[in-house]
Amino acid sequence: MRRFPAKIGEFIFHMHCKNTTFTEFFHTYFMSHNTVQNEIPDITLTIKDSYGIPFVNYDVSTTREPDHIIYKRADYLISIDNTFEKAEISAYNELALKHALMNLFSAFIVHRNWGLLIHSSCVVDNEGAHLFSGHSGAGKSTVAMLSNPRDLLSDEATIVKITENKITIFDSPFRSDSKPLGEKIQSYPLKSIQFLNQAMLNQRILINQSDAFIQIIDKVFYWPNDSKDMKSIFSMLKQLVTLVPIYDLHFKKDNTFWEMIS
Amino acid sequence: MKTFIQQKQCDATLLDDELIIVDTRYHTITKLNHVGGFCWSLLSEPLTIDFLVNAVKQKYDIEDSQQLKVQQDLERFLSELMNCGLVNHAS
Repeated sequence: MRRFPAKIGEFIFHMHCKNTTFTEFFHTYFMSHNTVQNEIPDITLTIKDSYGIPFVNYDVSTTREPDHIIYKRADYLISIDNTFEKAEISAYNELALKHALMNLFSAFIVHRNWGLLIHSSCVVDNEGAHLFSGHSGAGKSTVAMLSNPRDLLSDEATIVKITENKITIFDSPFRSDSKPLGEKIQSYPLKSIQFLNQAMLNQRILINQSDAFIQIIDKVFYWPNDSKDMKSIFSMLKQLVTLVPIYDLHFKKDNTFWEMIS
Repeated sequence: MKTFIQQKQCDATLLDDELIIVDTRYHTITKLNHVGGFCWSLLSEPLTIDFLVNAVKQKYDIEDSQQLKVQQDLERFLSELMNCGLVNHAS
């Protein structure tokens, strides 16, 4: 049994692997830090391989049992106890494991009413975080690439902590084309959100809170299991759109769009 | 006379003077303008269309000559909210 302690957001995850299939995955995305090794875990995960079939689609079924919540996809199975202190993931391959961990983490932070996992990239500029979202193919990865040498807090799923008066972004291990900042683990206040549209000219237009709310709710990674959680998401999103300015960003494919943000 | 009432399993919040209603049963979102939001807030208890017509006329200072227009708009509004599952017949 291999043990991989990791800090995700503000939480300690102790992940125990039954075998070595996913060792490289954990070394790449969940580098453990000495300070984390001895901390009491918020949740303990057991991870198994050889489950199911290769990726078919994103359809996840959710079942509530007396003591557990079960999330099932063709290529992964998650069982979480009702206290969210223990969970078990069985996955077909690394992609399935990554998506299962995102599923679990999203459920965990909503259950704690701590924050949301949002489908987006997020870039650090001048000690603040700027989040970029949009429909599939809108340019989240392109913006991340064009933002070099700025630090990337995420390129696929952004970890957003939401409190009454502050929105904070944490380094995300849920990546597609980049790696976590690792030892530099830091958090930054969220300064702006952009919905992306590729264009011939750069333009940044402030959008009203109600339209922003409707656009961003669609970008939250969440697999419904409880109407109480929906109320919690609703409340956190309201905080988000109230505290952070949200824009439509029309951008051409070079780094000049940063002149409109910085 | 028919009365109408809000579906209780909805959460509503005001953002930029527009009301966002989330139906947590079906995960749907509906946005209402100021007048729609005003009517929705009244529908926390069973009301007739006639009551709503008078309330809207009074709130927005609408002349009696526009009574029929207000009534038609409210009938359409309530019909759409019923289609969305946000309003039910109370009796």
